[in-house]
Amino acid sequence: MNEFLPHITQLLNSAIKGFSYLLPELVLLITFILVILGDLFAPGKRSTLAFGICIAGIIISILVGWIQNLDIERIVLFDNTLVLDSVSISFKNIFSAVTILFAIFIRYNKALQEHKKGTGDLYMLLPAVLIGLNLMSMSASLLMIYLSVEMVSIASYLMVGYASADKKQTEAAMKYALFGSICSAVMLYGMSLLYAFTGSLNILDHDFLLRLNMLSDPAVSLALLLVLVGIGFKLSFVPLHFWSPDVYEGAATPVTAFLSTAPKIAGFALLIRFVEPFLLPAQPYELPEVFDFRTILAVVAIATMIIGNFSAIWQNNVKRMLAYSSIGYTGFALMAIVAFEGSGFYSLIIYFAIYSVMNMAAFMLVYKIEEHTGQTDIRAYKGLGKVLKPELICFVVVLVALTGLPPTAGFIAKLFIFSSAFEYYTSSGSVVILIMLITGAVTTVVSLFYYLKIPLFAYLRESETAIEPVKKRDFLTYVIVFLTVLLVVFGIFPGLLS
Amino acid sequence: MIPLSHFMMISAALFCIGLFAVLSKKNAILILIGIEFMLNAAILNFVAFSKHDKLASGGQVFAVFAIVLAAATVAVTLAIVLNVYKYYKTIDPTKIDQLRD
Repeated sequence: MNEFLPHITQLLNSAIKGFSYLLPELVLLITFILVILGDLFAPGKRSTLAFGICIAGIIISILVGWIQNLDIERIVLFDNTLVLDSVSISFKNIFSAVTILFAIFIRYNKALQEHKKGTGDLYMLLPAVLIGLNLMSMSASLLMIYLSVEMVSIASYLMVGYASADKKQTEAAMKYALFGSICSAVMLYGMSLLYAFTGSLNILDHDFLLRLNMLSDPAVSLALLLVLVGIGFKLSFVPLHFWSPDVYEGAATPVTAFLSTAPKIAGFALLIRFVEPFLLPAQPYELPEVFDFRTILAVVAIATMIIGNFSAIWQNNVKRMLAYSSIGYTGFALMAIVAFEGSGFYSLIIYFAIYSVMNMAAFMLVYKIEEHTGQTDIRAYKGLGKVLKPELICFVVVLVALTGLPPTAGFIAKLFIFSSAFEYYTSSGSVVILIMLITGAVTTVVSLFYYLKIPLFAYLRESETAIEPVKKRDFLTYVIVFLTVLLVVFGIFPGLLS
Repeated sequence: MIPLSHFMMISAALFCIGLFAVLSKKNAILILIGIEFMLNAAILNFVAFSKHDKLASGGQVFAVFAIVLAAATVAVTLAIVLNVYKYYKTIDPTKIDQLRD
């Protein structure tokens, strides 16, 4: 016991100092409690109070973070457990924006509003899941990685299973929860092996890499692969992707929109933190050939892009098609991590900011059409171009952006990733990187085929039955129009993004 | 004094038993039990190897957090499984296959 005594003051000081940098998360924690209390005492018909508190809390946390982070370069908190730098701050802003859009989406979703449980408990999950996402983007120790991943996972299982109105939703929730728990158990075992090998939980620790280098390669590769399984589940890259189409199809549309955006981006933030010490060690010692992350991730990226985009062609359900296309997007984003060379993750952050806008808008539009026709099948979109005029025009713009064509922001997003990967290829000359680049270009063309199916059915095919015209439009339509305009504006003036 | 390699062997055995249960069982609750085996394998490793990390005792702290989170996950998953039973009258994951390509 006595050996701890000299360190107690230092530990306490670092903990107290750390809390002052966690103000946004503390605000979210208070919001979480207030939302529960608010919904308990004033449930109302549509949980208006809970919605208001939730939105207000998230906005306050953004503002607090913004004021506090004005002059932060890079800070390490809580004895090297969390890292707060410009990368994690940008990711946190993306997560907050997505969560606000998700809250608005829930509010204007009829299926969830009419559910007998109401939506109060769903609003309660939002601040909690946002804390988890923020921690994912900051974590620098194995403990924090596991904790934050589990925080987000448990909240996601609840969201999918929340409005279990039919067979499909419960099935999606069960598949998600079982597969997710298996992956996190595998990841935990990998972490325990890494801890056993190094005696340290901190991946930024210099000893961590040096001690890994002392061990035999197969042992270290096994442990790192097991950890990658857990992160890969969140990213849904190829050997671990098969849960995502089922879950995306089964879950309520707002939940699908959220799951395909925020936790996936957070998984990338986590992957960045995890591979950074291996690709770019902070100290100028010789990089040990522990584990070739670049080649493994390049192969995974190629497989992910091919399987995601080619499977999407055969889908008739719009939600399933977007699920496969988001798998393809994961593969594309992995290119940026493979090509990472210290110029920062600037291109990846812009890519994800644009991706979240496109993805949220696409799922909102899917819901708008689902609300009107009760269908998520592409073949049921026949003749809708004449009825849902503004919605379908927005949908075409969003799909053009998803394909990555100018003049939309989707082009800028793909261009940044492509140019950084190409730069890396010219400096390294690796064949795998070249194959990855070619796959990226080819699959972008392939994606045109399935994205253009929607305008094809909506505009060029006539419907057999008359579709009733839209009576009145709600706030969600304006949000969609706003997001679409944003995509075009960012596409024409990319300078606005920085 | 039991050498650390014994702990590692037991935890590897536990992990493999858990993985086998997850892959072979046709009952959602037995799969959950398999997941618990895998988690406990990892927790055993953490506690055994925190011997080398006395000052921060990261392994022991990690074990406590992992136990709490495992309980939370199981609670949520059991509720979901109960819901599945309500609709399908079975909890055999191979028979619950309405969502597919």
